[in-house]
Amino acid sequence: MLRIRFHGRGGQGIKTASRVLGSALFAEGFEVQDAPRYGAERRGAPIFAYVRADRAPIDERGVIERPELVVVGDDSLVQVAGAGVGVGLDAEAVLLLLSQEPAAVWKQRLQTEATVITLEPPAPDPDAPLRSGPEPLVGARVSGAAARLLGVVPRTALEAALAQELGALPTTARERARQQALEAFDALAAHAGAVRARPAPGYAERTSPGWIELPFDPADVSAPAIHAPATSVLVRTGLWRSMRPVIDHSGCKRCHFMCALPCPDSAITVDDAGYPQIDLEHCKGCLICVAQCPFHVIAAVPEAEAQNETTALPRERRAHEP
Amino acid sequence: MSRSLMTGNRAAAWAARLAGVDYVPAFPITPQTEIIETLSEWIRRGELDARMTTLDSEHSMVTAAGTAATAGVRVFTATSSQGLLYAMEMLYAVAGFRAPFLLANVSRGLAAPITLEPDHCDVLAARDSGLLQFHAASCQEVLDLSLIGYRVIEDKRVRLPAIVNLDGFYLSFTREPVELPEAEAVAAFLPPFDASALGLRAGQPLSQAVAVLGGTPYSYFRYECHLAALQAERVFAEVCEDFGERFGRNYSALERYACDDAEIVFVMMGSFASKARDAVAQMRAAGERVGLLRPRLLRPFPADALAQALDGKAAVVVVDQNLSIGKGGVLHAELCSALYGRADAPGVITSFIGGLGGRDIRREEFFQMVSETREALQKARAGTLEAPPAPRLLFTADELRELRKMQAIAAVRDAEVRSSRPPPAPNAGSQGS
Amino acid sequence: MTRSEEKPIRKLKQLPSQHVMAAGTPMCAGCGGLEGLNEASDVLGENTVFVNAAGCMTLLSVYPFTPFRGSFFYTAMASAPAGAQGIRDALDVLIAKGRLPAADDLQVVVLTGDGSAYGMGLSSTSGAIERDLDFLYICYDNEGYGNTGHQSSAATPLGARTATDRGGFHGRTKNLFDIWVAHQPSYVATAVASEPLDLVQKVQRAKQLSGPRLILMLAPCPTGWDYPPERSLEIGKLAVDTGAWPLKEYVDGQVRHTKLPKTRLPVERYLETQGRFAHLFEPQRDEATLRAIQAKIDADFAAIEGSTTAPD
Repeated sequence: MLRIRFHGRGGQGIKTASRVLGSALFAEGFEVQDAPRYGAERRGAPIFAYVRADRAPIDERGVIERPELVVVGDDSLVQVAGAGVGVGLDAEAVLLLLSQEPAAVWKQRLQTEATVITLEPPAPDPDAPLRSGPEPLVGARVSGAAARLLGVVPRTALEAALAQELGALPTTARERARQQALEAFDALAAHAGAVRARPAPGYAERTSPGWIELPFDPADVSAPAIHAPATSVLVRTGLWRSMRPVIDHSGCKRCHFMCALPCPDSAITVDDAGYPQIDLEHCKGCLICVAQCPFHVIAAVPEAEAQNETTALPRERRAHEP
Repeated sequence: MSRSLMTGNRAAAWAARLAGVDYVPAFPITPQTEIIETLSEWIRRGELDARMTTLDSEHSMVTAAGTAATAGVRVFTATSSQGLLYAMEMLYAVAGFRAPFLLANVSRGLAAPITLEPDHCDVLAARDSGLLQFHAASCQEVLDLSLIGYRVIEDKRVRLPAIVNLDGFYLSFTREPVELPEAEAVAAFLPPFDASALGLRAGQPLSQAVAVLGGTPYSYFRYECHLAALQAERVFAEVCEDFGERFGRNYSALERYACDDAEIVFVMMGSFASKARDAVAQMRAAGERVGLLRPRLLRPFPADALAQALDGKAAVVVVDQNLSIGKGGVLHAELCSALYGRADAPGVITSFIGGLGGRDIRREEFFQMVSETREALQKARAGTLEAPPAPRLLFTADELRELRKMQAIAAVRDAEVRSSRPPPAPNAGSQGS
Repeated sequence: MTRSEEKPIRKLKQLPSQHVMAAGTPMCAGCGGLEGLNEASDVLGENTVFVNAAGCMTLLSVYPFTPFRGSFFYTAMASAPAGAQGIRDALDVLIAKGRLPAADDLQVVVLTGDGSAYGMGLSSTSGAIERDLDFLYICYDNEGYGNTGHQSSAATPLGARTATDRGGFHGRTKNLFDIWVAHQPSYVATAVASEPLDLVQKVQRAKQLSGPRLILMLAPCPTGWDYPPERSLEIGKLAVDTGAWPLKEYVDGQVRHTKLPKTRLPVERYLETQGRFAHLFEPQRDEATLRAIQAKIDADFAAIEGSTTAPD
């Protein structure tokens, strides 16, 4: 069986990726099972999708514990523990990441024995406005990449699956997605067939599930109630960001209520001198503050650039002009 | 203590009064309304220091009961039948709140067809929700099980809401002698309500009943409700012991009548079980070795107590005043699962379903149940019983005749004839064929 | 419970510079409803219990995380006002019986979306108002069943594309403001986060009254209305400036508008910002629907003094 697990963020087209691959494999005569799995169904929030393919009808269901292929569309998810990117990766598996960083770096970071392959993320469209949200072309790109790595999906099958699954998109978007998928398919020629099907771990290799007798807890402990205030600050929604607002304090007039007040996520605080500060742990990059600042001193910078401290001049973006 | 005649509804109201409840969210439904009318009048006269609010529906009523109990007040409410089912979503929710309150259910059959008369389908529909269930068989038990119930559910080991069930009409509107304990004695038995870790107040933030993501936390919370419900059996026994010492009436999870040397034992709940007791007494007088076990607790299900009480008995006759359509009697199915696999479990368990919508169960019927069970037992001993007898739906030839007369008036035959005609051709005139 | 001792808010500067509600919730980036809730909760303060019905904001708190410094109670989709009733009654009883100091009382605030407020929750809402329950109801209205993928609700406006009306909604839109007013509550007001001073002044006014009070906030929704999140405030402003979302309040038996656009912009300026109305413009203009939308707004404003319609 081939078990493929895709990781990405809501809005990146990960569900579509799983369907493209699923449809392609089905057309090639495989029995297929594909599904997305949501956490909170929100743009930017981590999601995963999976595909199973086998020559025999598939009885396995649910979470893929020991994948043959893990595909990561957004490399910022690796540090999000809840995204579970590395779960079940073993020496026989392949990990594909869309990333500017080389495979060796990721292999080291993740301390994994799996084969690690990287591919650049989709290039931004020079004609399109900078997005404040997730890039939907990620899904298309990884579907093509995954198809090549499996080795059992010819290019024609991928093309047919793309036509089928992308049909609902408007023409330009559909064409761009198609191109991304095929470009990725072609780019990974050297790794064609790197992923091998294998059977499930056998009965002989079984391990104990580790059952316990659940201890009885009195109601004060076992009610679904939270007794502390503001524990949500532990959730780093800043990891959702693909664009980062950056305040140029030299031009800031300290009218904090113009930016801090409308921030939906309470992610702008005001320091003792009256200057607004972006809370990067929590800012989701909605860019309302960029749009609202009457003096245009907040710029929108792609998150990848902002994190890369060697960038001398972050690209600027004006507020959307009607 | 004073002994007087009162209805089951009035006994339920007295329980709330003696327990010093703070809050009664209410909604009227037959046959429960006398309870809230009585409480409302006592509040108006200053005899009960509580607030009553009539909500817009039972669903809202149960919601208000759960949030008020979370906020820290002792809550009592009441409903029946369609009302209990209208609230069904919230029964599961308020159990998950882990905030205790008592709900008196005056059991009544469920639509369709709609009826006002009693059976146990309503209260049993709630059996999976997480609310404990106490089943009363007399007006005295309505009062006593309610007072015991408050002590049990407010115990830190439990903290779940509970239903005290009393049969519509046969208990709700029937007067029986009830001994009312003194208020001070009850206050000594039942300490004031303590919200414990819950409670809503300034400076004590509480995010309650929040969403969970993932099967692990959800499973934990629901499993712990279950473990708490199981704890409640032990807590019930402790509280009953204390109640017995203070008030002289001793209760346990099971009422046993003439069981010790019984060969064949009835298992039945609710007020009609006293009719079974009456039939057993008659049969005993004639030398038959029969007995009766009556669960007072349905949730938690007293599996071990039942199984031990039935160990070594030859046969069990389960009488269900309920019907799970497509399966049969609920008590029968739950009992069988408690007995299966036990070395000394009875070999024959028969199932009888009756009393739906208030249908009487006559003495002759109890006698006949034992006869049929004895026949099966004889076959089993002879090795010729291939399968247990099918469940019997209690219904007589006279009843069928009566039903056919009603159908004739309802022109059922005409409908049958109508439905057997071919459909009219398209564009045919309005005349039938 | 102290209410009327606060200084009236006349400038946005008077609001706390740090929101009372904490960051880290899973609401969509740019959520117009969360903007409004933050502004409102800054005025309400911590001594509040939010009683919630099923909707997007149910997920504000996912165990063990909560953004609230006060309290929050999830009930069910249809019965948040009933849950509020139980809490208000309980607190009143506890205070009356001396088991809770009056200073520890909480404001009871129902928080729901339009799905509950305009639909399933009407029975419990109507009962609560009729019983003169002392509570504030905050409705974040994103004009659809947002949490389930933006299907049509009783609040969906004419022409809007939703998941269950992919060709555009052509039914009637319920008027929740009028339904509340017919019950003769203490206070009803429409608001939107893009008019923050208007919103916080209304919340403050509501806070100082007792009885049943509604703040009905338009909640521009990037996910359901299909626009880039940074435009949430701009779109809220256009909703007001085109008359699509009139700002008004009901108090003491009278309805008055709190902010009238001096020159009302054509509603197309608002519609063209959102993907949910794109089919009214491409591949060709749906003149009939566009005219109907404009006509409805014009009719609503015809009676109001001082309003002018922008030239076509």
